Amino acid sequence: MKSTITQSRSIRSYFSGFQTSARFVRGVDLAGQWAAPILIVAVLIMAAIFAPAFYLPTNLKTVGIQIAVLGIVAVGQTLVLLVRSIDLSVSAVLALGAVIVVQTEAGGPLWISFVEAFAVAAAVGLANGLLITKRQVPPFVATFGMLVFVQGARLAYTKGQASGTVPEILRAISFEQVGPIPAALIVWLIVNIIVLFILQKTRYGRWIYAVGGNPAAARYAGIPVDLVIIGVHTICSMLAMLGGLLLSGYIGYVDLRLGADYNTNSIAGAIVGGTTFTGGRGNLFGTAAGAALLIMLLNLVVVLGLPIHWQYAVQGIVLVMAVALQGFRQFLLSR
Amino acid sequence: MAVTFEKTREAKSFYSGRWLKFLRDNASIILIYTIILLVIGIAAVFNENFRSPSNLVNIFRQSIILGLIAIGQSVVALTGGLDMSVAQVARIVGLTVATIFAAEGSNPDLIIPLIFLGLLIGMAIGLFNGIIITRTHANPFIITLGIASILRGINLAISSTPIRGIPKAYLLIYDFKIGIIPVNVLVMALIWVIAYIFTTRTRTGRAFFAVGGSERVARLSAISYNRTLVVAHTFCSVCAALTGLFLLARTGVGDPSAAEGMDFQSIVAVALGGISLYGGRGSMIGTLGGVLLLATLSNVFNLLQVNIYYQQLFLGLIVLITVAAYKSPRAA
Repeated sequence: MKSTITQSRSIRSYFSGFQTSARFVRGVDLAGQWAAPILIVAVLIMAAIFAPAFYLPTNLKTVGIQIAVLGIVAVGQTLVLLVRSIDLSVSAVLALGAVIVVQTEAGGPLWISFVEAFAVAAAVGLANGLLITKRQVPPFVATFGMLVFVQGARLAYTKGQASGTVPEILRAISFEQVGPIPAALIVWLIVNIIVLFILQKTRYGRWIYAVGGNPAAARYAGIPVDLVIIGVHTICSMLAMLGGLLLSGYIGYVDLRLGADYNTNSIAGAIVGGTTFTGGRGNLFGTAAGAALLIMLLNLVVVLGLPIHWQYAVQGIVLVMAVALQGFRQFLLSR
Repeated sequence: MAVTFEKTREAKSFYSGRWLKFLRDNASIILIYTIILLVIGIAAVFNENFRSPSNLVNIFRQSIILGLIAIGQSVVALTGGLDMSVAQVARIVGLTVATIFAAEGSNPDLIIPLIFLGLLIGMAIGLFNGIIITRTHANPFIITLGIASILRGINLAISSTPIRGIPKAYLLIYDFKIGIIPVNVLVMALIWVIAYIFTTRTRTGRAFFAVGGSERVARLSAISYNRTLVVAHTFCSVCAALTGLFLLARTGVGDPSAAEGMDFQSIVAVALGGISLYGGRGSMIGTLGGVLLLATLSNVFNLLQVNIYYQQLFLGLIVLITVAAYKSPRAA
């Protein structure tokens, strides 16, 4: 009897590689949840000391709008991550939306192009969801293929050069100010409230957490798992589209590089905020903090006058450290 | 119990012939080579430029860049991961070597040491990837995506304009021919054979399949998960580094946009070749088929002068259809 016990322990230690205390596990868990808000405070203090230009009103407005755009995309990404999936096509959808709205503006009425844009986004999300659930393609590959396909479609559609002016209404909901704060932040807030309501108060929201926590158990409990995943992907693509419209409204023109970094950044934002890859863990507050942290860091690169390519390094470092932390946290918690 | 028995018997009688079994086991490989032959056949009938011998050799030459990266990528894919940093690794190696050549006044004596330096850089990045992934139990795909972003920043810091001053002798790596056959095609063939033997005949190579099939079972069979994953990522990055060296010899300048899109294309080649992207199943023969198909298609596109923008659309469509066609069993 005794030998069995020692043996099972030795197998367990073989799995873990090292022994941990409960306090250590708790510490890593808390670090994973609260890293983003704590780091935001740290960054704000550091900015006050080393880069006072960060607090100029114009800069704060830029930061606010960028946080709003990334925040909206990251909300969608969080939902997708919650069901153990991922969406790498957000950047392409984001850029495509801007192109559609800007290019069709010359012709028919504006609302048609908006409907068109959101319909395309929904179709992309639907295709992602169907590939992942019905054909069981790994989410990375399905959405990455979709990224290349949608980019190709955009290039074929614009023949490599996008031109046109951004409609006034987009400027209004993104760049104009309501009182002291930019309108984009309000849009972000509304999106957060709606999605928070869905996650907390509706059956669909609880299904999302259930599917992410344990898909097999969710299936046995009678939850339509495939439908949940498809729905989440559709929402994610439509939120990416909304982000794209806000971004084009803020920038004021559309070019081919528009929104190229939003894949890495939205994933990094969500994961810094405490969402794990293995699903079922994560919340919108964390994601909002994560997106804000990332944008602040990227903005500081500019404010400090560093070469712009350090932005790539910053987003890479944030992504790697966040994924490493969350992966380790999930590993400790699930042992 | 009885039902299972009946089923197996039925299945056995249906697939009884050895040939049928062979066909069933290698369906994806047979499919991809059939498609290649079809594409080559159609192109050769309708386009006279395509069927000239020099063009056929050209297809092989064009495929070595993608081929090398795809060999590395398929090893990582077998373990159930994907390496998104390959293009940036190839780029950083090319840029570093080019910068040193330029600083040393294109000294041909430096060629051998710099090749080793390039491979060392690749090895170091691969080790780093592997160690982070195994120590933190994080997702390989996203870790390497982050590493790729960091490397992109470093690459732009090294140079954002093409670097000149590569010695003439270095270009021979790409240009040297024995008769009609370019030496680099032979090198690629050699590396492919090594990778094939490595994955099918060695303990470490078989461990890739075991780890990709089931991490848990692999651990219980006393296969070191950590070591296997580190070896796979190191091998992949060394292949990418080698690609960077070949690319430098092909273009003759240190190109800050070298290997653009290679990360995606290598995944496409691997997926086309029938390696399961959940890990654990597939072979180097399939990868070679995927690479040859992509190289042939790109050659045909260029001959037909298809707009580059439509090419990307087409590539995306191919990969979506491919991954949707191979329905793989969901892991766990």
